[in-house]
Parts: sequence; C-alpha cells; structure tokens
Amino acid sequence: MALVVEERSSTDAPAPTVTVASLARDWGISDPNRIAMREKDFGIWQEYSWARTWGLVMDAAHGLLALGIDVGDRVSIQAENRPEWVILDLAAVAVRGITVGFYPTNPAAEVKYLLTDCGATVHLAEDQEQVDRVLEIDPAAVPNLGRIIYCEPRGVHSYSDDRLMDWDDFLAAGRQHRAENPDAVVDRMAEARPDDVMTLVYTSGTTGPPKGAMLTNANTEFSITRIMGEDGLRGKRVPTADDLVVTYLPLCHVAERIFSTWHMVSCGLCLNFAESIDTVTVNLREVQPTLFFAVPRIWEKLHATVMIKGSDSSPFKRLWLRSGLKLAGVIGREKVANGGLHTPKSRLLNLVGYPLVFRALQERLGLRRCWHAGSGAAPIAPEVLEFFTGIGVPVYELYGMTENSAVATGNFPGRMRLGTVGEPYPDIGFRLDEETGEIQTKHPGVFAGYWNRPEQTAETFTEDGWLMTGDVGEWVDGTHIRIIDRIKHIIITAGGKNISPSEIENSLKTSLYVKEAMVIGDRRKFLSALIGIELDTVGDWALRKNIPYTTYRDLSEKPEVLELIQGVVNEANEKFARVESIREFRMIPKELDHEDGELTATQKIKRSAMEEAFGGLIEEMYA
Amino acid sequence: MRGRPGLYTSYEAEAALLPTRTRKVALGLLILVLVLMPFSLPVIDQIPFVRFLGDAPWLRVVNRALIFCIAALGLNLLAGLAGQVSLGHAFFMGVGAYTAVLMGGVSTPHLWGWGLPMWLWLPASGVVAAGVGILVAPAAVRVRGLYLAITTIGLVFIGLHLSRVFEEIAGPGALGRKWPKLQLRLWKEEEPFLDFSGNGHWFWFDVNRTQKTYYFLLALLVLFALAAANLARSRTGRSWAAIRDRDVAAEIMGVAEFRAKTTAFAISSFYAGVAGALLASMVGQMNPEAWNLLLSVEFVAILLIGGMGRVSGAIMGTFFVVLSPRFVEQFIGWTADQAEGDGLFSGFWDLLVVVGSGDFGLISVTQQALGFPLPASALDEIIYGVLIIVFLLFEPLGLFGIWVKVRNYWKGWPFSY
Repeated sequence: MALVVEERSSTDAPAPTVTVASLARDWGISDPNRIAMREKDFGIWQEYSWARTWGLVMDAAHGLLALGIDVGDRVSIQAENRPEWVILDLAAVAVRGITVGFYPTNPAAEVKYLLTDCGATVHLAEDQEQVDRVLEIDPAAVPNLGRIIYCEPRGVHSYSDDRLMDWDDFLAAGRQHRAENPDAVVDRMAEARPDDVMTLVYTSGTTGPPKGAMLTNANTEFSITRIMGEDGLRGKRVPTADDLVVTYLPLCHVAERIFSTWHMVSCGLCLNFAESIDTVTVNLREVQPTLFFAVPRIWEKLHATVMIKGSDSSPFKRLWLRSGLKLAGVIGREKVANGGLHTPKSRLLNLVGYPLVFRALQERLGLRRCWHAGSGAAPIAPEVLEFFTGIGVPVYELYGMTENSAVATGNFPGRMRLGTVGEPYPDIGFRLDEETGEIQTKHPGVFAGYWNRPEQTAETFTEDGWLMTGDVGEWVDGTHIRIIDRIKHIIITAGGKNISPSEIENSLKTSLYVKEAMVIGDRRKFLSALIGIELDTVGDWALRKNIPYTTYRDLSEKPEVLELIQGVVNEANEKFARVESIREFRMIPKELDHEDGELTATQKIKRSAMEEAFGGLIEEMYA
Repeated sequence: MRGRPGLYTSYEAEAALLPTRTRKVALGLLILVLVLMPFSLPVIDQIPFVRFLGDAPWLRVVNRALIFCIAALGLNLLAGLAGQVSLGHAFFMGVGAYTAVLMGGVSTPHLWGWGLPMWLWLPASGVVAAGVGILVAPAAVRVRGLYLAITTIGLVFIGLHLSRVFEEIAGPGALGRKWPKLQLRLWKEEEPFLDFSGNGHWFWFDVNRTQKTYYFLLALLVLFALAAANLARSRTGRSWAAIRDRDVAAEIMGVAEFRAKTTAFAISSFYAGVAGALLASMVGQMNPEAWNLLLSVEFVAILLIGGMGRVSGAIMGTFFVVLSPRFVEQFIGWTADQAEGDGLFSGFWDLLVVVGSGDFGLISVTQQALGFPLPASALDEIIYGVLIIVFLLFEPLGLFGIWVKVRNYWKGWPFSY
C-alpha cells in the first residue's frame, strides 16, 4: 500500500497537541519500514510496517469521518486483541473521537448497558457472537448507534440489519473519502487539544454498575512520559523500537493499553498479537518478548505450569529441575533481599544455574529475552515473584489505576521490596490520608471525571482536589507502599475489629490449589471463607493420588480435597492473629464466571453477587 | 526470525531447508569432513574413524553406499513420502543400467552399444526408467498397500525375463557385459576430459580412481538429496504426503490422485535408473541376475532401518545397511585374531569362532556353506534381519526416529513435553 502522509508545517499551531495518533503518525513518517505489529494468521506472523499501519489508521479515520463522526463522538470496540482494535482506536483519536473499549467477554446485558451509557455512534464488533449481542438490543434503546462494523464476516453475511458494515467496506469508504477530502483528517488532528477526552475506560464494577473514566490527551501524554520515559518505570533503561511486546490482556483495560498501544506509539516497538488467551504460552515462546506485563493470575499460571510439567517429566529431568528450582529459590531470596539486584553470592549461583536450568526454563516460558516484566492489577504471591526473580526474569510489582492513568507507584529496578507495590513516582502528588490511610494522588495524569456522572466524579475527589483511590495503604520504611485493601472491603467483625479480607484471601490464593477465595465476616462472630479450587492443579493432584472424579463440583467436594484445602487454610491461619483466622470454610460448587455475574470482566469477585448466589453456604457456616 | 526460531513471518522461512544457524553450521562441517575424508591429511588421519576412509577397500564400500543412497532416496520418495510400497525398485535400477549400457557401451557383433558419452547416457538412464515408471503407475491407482507390493514384484521377474530375451543388450546369461566407464567426454573421442575411472592428479593432489569416484558420487548425492528434500516441501511433495495419509481424503481435498501417484513413480524411478547406471558402471561388469528381488528388499530394509519419509533417514539407513557387513567382517576377523592370541579373553573368543578345522565355535571364518558353524557372511544377513524386526517393533521411525527422540529429549529440557 502506498503511503501518503501529508506533512504539516509546524507553523499551523504554536504547539501541536501530542496524541497517540500523532505519535503513531511520527513513526509512520520517520521509520516507515519498521515493523509495528504482527498478527498470527494461518500459522504465520503477518507483519504490519509502520507505513502500512499508519496508512490503515488514516483510511479508518477517513472512514469515521465518512460515517459522520464529530468531535467527542464515541467509538466503541468489542473485540479480542487484533490489529483492527489498535487501528480503530488510533483512528478515533485522530478524528478527535473517544474510544470506548468493551471486554470481549461482556455478556449481552452489559453490552447494552455500556452502549446506552456511553452513547456510541459507531461500534466495532469482532464476529457474529459480538454482533449478536448488539443486535439483541432494541434499536430504540441505542438511538445514536449508526454503524456496527464487523471484522469476521462469517455468519454475519446473511444478516439484514442495515447498520452492519464489513471492516473492508469501512476502509474502502475511508479511502474514497480520503481521495475526495485528502486533508480532512490532517486538519482534524491539528485541532486536537490537550483536554480532549481520548478514551473512556470503564471500571470493572465490583460494587456498582461500571463507570466510564474519561482520560484526556494530556493524561495520556503524562502517563507515557512518566512510565516509559527516563527515570520512569524501568529506571535508566528506556524501551526502544527494537523491543517486542506480546499483547493478550483485554485492550480495554488501562494497563494493557499502556503496555501495548501506548508503548507501541511512544517507543515504536513491535506489538505481537497473541492468537487467543489459550495460546499465550505458545505465542510467548515464539515471540520471546523483551517487555512483558501480566496480571498475577498469569504469573501464577506460568509458575504452576513449570511445577506440573516438572513433576511429569522423567526421573532424571525431575531431579535436575528440582535442584535447579532450589537454586532459583536461594538466588531469588538473595536478590529480593538486595532490591532485585545480584549479590556476589547469587551471581555465582546464577553462573551455575543459568546454563543448566534457568536458560531452558526462560526459553520454555518465552521470557528469555525479557529484561523487564511487570505485575499489577492485583497482589501477587511473594513465592511466585521470588521464583521468577530467581530464574532471572525480573518481575516488578506495580500499582496504579485507571483514574490516575496508572501513574502511582512502582518497584523500580534495584530498589524492589517484596510485598510492596514500590515507591511513588518521583515528583508526583502522592499522599496517604491521615485518618483512613487511603492513597490519594494529584498529578496531570489524574482523569477528567466519570462520563456523565458529575456527582460520582465529585465523590472521588477530596475538597482540595486530590484523587481518592479507594485503596488503603501504609508506608514501609518510609519509602515503599504496601496496599492493605479496598477501603470498602474492610471488615468490621461483631467484636469490632477491623480486618482486611484481601490479605487473607491473597494468602489463601498463594496456594497452587486455590483459585478463588472470599473471606466473610462483616458483623459476624468469626471469619469464614468460600474457596474455589484451581481445576488444573487439583485435578492433576487427584490424578496422582488416584482419586477419581467427574466434574468440578464432584472434585471440590471430595473428602481428600477438603482435607487438602483445610491444610491450605491452616497454613494461612498461622500467618495471622487469632481473630483473623478462618474458622470455617465451604467449597464453591462451581467455577465462577463473568457470564453468570459472579466475576467482573477482570475476574474480580463481585461480593454482593456471591453473597446472593451462595448465601445458603454462608449461613450454613454460621448456623 | 533470527534469534527467535519460533517466529515465522513467511511460509518460506517456515519451510526452509536449514532453518537455524546451528543446522547450517552442522551441515557445513559435515560436508567439509566428507570432502576431506579420503585424504591422509596430517592431523585428520590421526582421528581413527575418519582415517580408515583413506583405505581404498573402505572407500569402495562407501562409494557403493553413496550410489545406494541415491536409489534409497528414490524409494523414499515413493514409499516414505507417497506411501506406495514398491518391491520393483531393483527393476527400475536395471532399466537404468541397461539404458546406460545400450547407449554408452561398446558395440560388438553380439552386443548392441552406441558408445555415447556419459553426459548423455546418465540422464537418459534416469529418463527411460522414469518413462517405465509412468507406465507402471496406473497399477498403483488401482491397487494399494500389500497388493501393490506384490504387483511390483512382478516387475522384477519381467525384468529378469527380458534380460534373457534381449541378450544383445544384457550380454550372455551368467557373464553379463562390460559397462561404460565413469568418464566425461564431449563426444566419442578417445581421451576423456574428466576421468573418474583412472588415477590422476587434481590441482596439487594425487588422487586415485576410488577417490575420484567418491567425489563424483558425493557431488551427485548432494544434488539428488537436495532435490529430494526440496521436493518434499513442494506442492508435489505435500500432495504425496496427503495421498499417503489417506488417498480418498486427499482426493476430496482436491489432490489429483492419479497425477500424484504417477509423478511419484516417475521421479522415484528416475532416481533408481540413475543409481542403477552408476552402480553398474562403477562395478564394471554385472550379470542380469543382480537386479533381483533381494536387491529390492534391501532397499525396503534400508528405509525401515533408517526411517521412512526423511532424506536423512534414507541416507543413515543406507550407510548402516551397506557398511554393516563390512564391520561384521572386520569384527569377526578381529575375534579370530583374539582367539588365536594369548589375550585374557582368548578362551571366550575361541568358543565363538572357528578358526581352523576341528575347532569348536558358532561362527566360522573359513567355511562358506550355510550350516553349523555359521559362515561369517551369513552373520550379517541375520543381523539385519534381526534389526528389521527390532526396528519395526520398537522404533518404527528407524534411525531417524532415534535421532528425533534424542533431539526432543534436549529440546524439552527440563520438561518431558
């Protein structure tokens, strides 16, 4: 595809606003042949150069103009991660629209809520399944929605709804518009202002309906410079265009947007789209990314894979791996105690362990070339962190939230501290509330408010304009921050004691065998817990113990499994005071699911829904 | 992609013959060793295994193996890749050999021969064999598996019969006739410009005729192996694999069965024809009975031991089958020496081998007739009979399968899968 990029003289505007679209355009001009994206298709990683990517963004942007997108109009996207997601996102920002990402797993009811809440005019639905969710909605309920663009035509061809449009037709319309009005998008881009809202990121909604957090171009720019710039997240070393990233977490989440799209446009690195969440391990191994971000669940899964595969291997290899892991444990503890840096002792041990075990392990995990990895969005088990640090994958725990563009704290290389989320970024407004211990931030990355919810926006700010994160934290050694819990989750027992359930839940979840845990005890005599097992690991454990089982429910109700989990609970209880110990627990009889409403799209437990669904089990424990 | 062996950005890269640098280096080293082998080079001749090739008797066996490799590659395309088990491979080799002798041989009152140069008769021997292969191919479309194998046995007997009918081509019964030499000449001149069949001087080195033949055959083998490896990853090769795995399903997918089987027979026969011509002219004189069923079976054995469907499997199998009798012979000779000597284990070896008459033992060095004690020559046939059984039972993928297992063991490190 021929690249036509109109260069604008900088005299048009005094200081052109930096947007993700303008950053992408700069790469399209300065390094057109560099690979911007790779997508695996028919077994081959198809490459998109920057020139092609920017050309497609321009086509899509003109396509949006052809569909009549005006400044501030919303463009919603419900799709797995794929180049079209990024292209449409950048195109929407280019024409000063607002991108709204939905989780691909959002069920029909939530799609309806989100579409009516944001009032999108153009919606991208990946395939027939996603299209169906939109078509289920009465058109009168979403009067603004003019076009539904789809990427996968299979099954959609026969639909007669005239709002439907194929992605290729959309691009073709864009090309035609571009031929007729070659400067339309360029002019629109030049008009961009720092306080333009560029995206709505919907909160996961553990407590109420999701709210759309508005992030502006200025927020983005601040976030990009703080996180990716020098003295940012990675200390002195800054990501370059030679870095590789695998994108697999939902792009509508702010963390994945930062770690893939925003990294891509700011550093020019290559974005590799995983085929699906199930193939991530394979794709990681193929791509061997240099930067990686994962939620604790993924890290735990990777860790569990090593353990399970390791115990399945032949006796010699097993022995070999086991001694390697012991070595990794020693190195990990040594490094963690030293802020994540090697000590002479760990360096020496690494010299032995690397050629024998670690190198192969890193290769198999796909993290051999990874020089910085992050973990965030939930607390990670220290054992897991130690393991990865030990085998030489530098994983750092980070903390941030949508409302402050994820700029809050991070463990910086060389200064990491286990069990904390690190230090606040230098020179940002960061404080703990004197009374509640709530973390509050104030910096240019703080969002513009919730979409159409002025009173809730006002509630999230203090009187002096600080953002209330809703997370309770405490200082460790005066430099690092430890997160205690969500302020709303703090349990006050019948005895009047304040307890943080998350700490106990996370301690339970450090076990390989526990996937979900919910601690109950608000206004109760003692603490209890609902526990869901991890099917893979417990299934594997049962197989080894020769315990036959049929379904998830059957397995979790086996007396042997109850005994196993009792052991986990006892172990966790030892870490806490007497009032904080779990006296009773029940197994959750099903795998929790977003579709059934027990989990949010980010796999967080919705407590109210859980109490409703498993109220019988809870009452049984207190009977 | 470099440094990321799993990241393929094009189908060309994914189907590359030598995808990684390690493989390129390994192949380069292998070829270097192969080129240097026949020489007694100052350092290398100290390495025991490499040095022995400098000996003419060993090199002759290796030359034979190189020719067998070409033939085995041909059968591998047909049986390993396209799944058409043929026991008529010896027949196609014979067709090639007699084409060569008819075109390149000397004309006498009783024998036909046109005395044409090698650059004509060598390709022609392949082409004629391929043509005969095309004639046979329709049979393969009608019958499958065991029935095809039996049908192709018929070819061997037809071949033997024809050789008796056309004595003007094949030569008189038990004697056979002389084959043209491996010499390159422009036309029918007296002096060849490149002679592989006599001692001479190349560049700064003295080379004897065995060494010359070795290089000529090595070059040919590299050529044929490359062609075979490339065929396997081409459209034709993929259509063969589809036919092999399930011909009906392949046809439904749009693979033309008749066409695929015909090309498989044609190309396989081409390989066989060239190999037959080379073998006959290297040996010099052969009688028609040499192209018999046993020879065909030997190639099936080669594929079973080496591993079906892979170029490296066919080559490993050939070297194993062709060289092992020689090794067995050497081993028996060594044990005989031990039995006669005063070594610690001479008593043990004495029990095993018969050296002179009246000696007790299981294997006889002197005796040639089958019976007890066993002649040394029969031993290697027993060994490879046993090997075929062992491979079929325990390692159906042959030597190549063993290699794959070893490789996967390290690839999976430190896991088992």
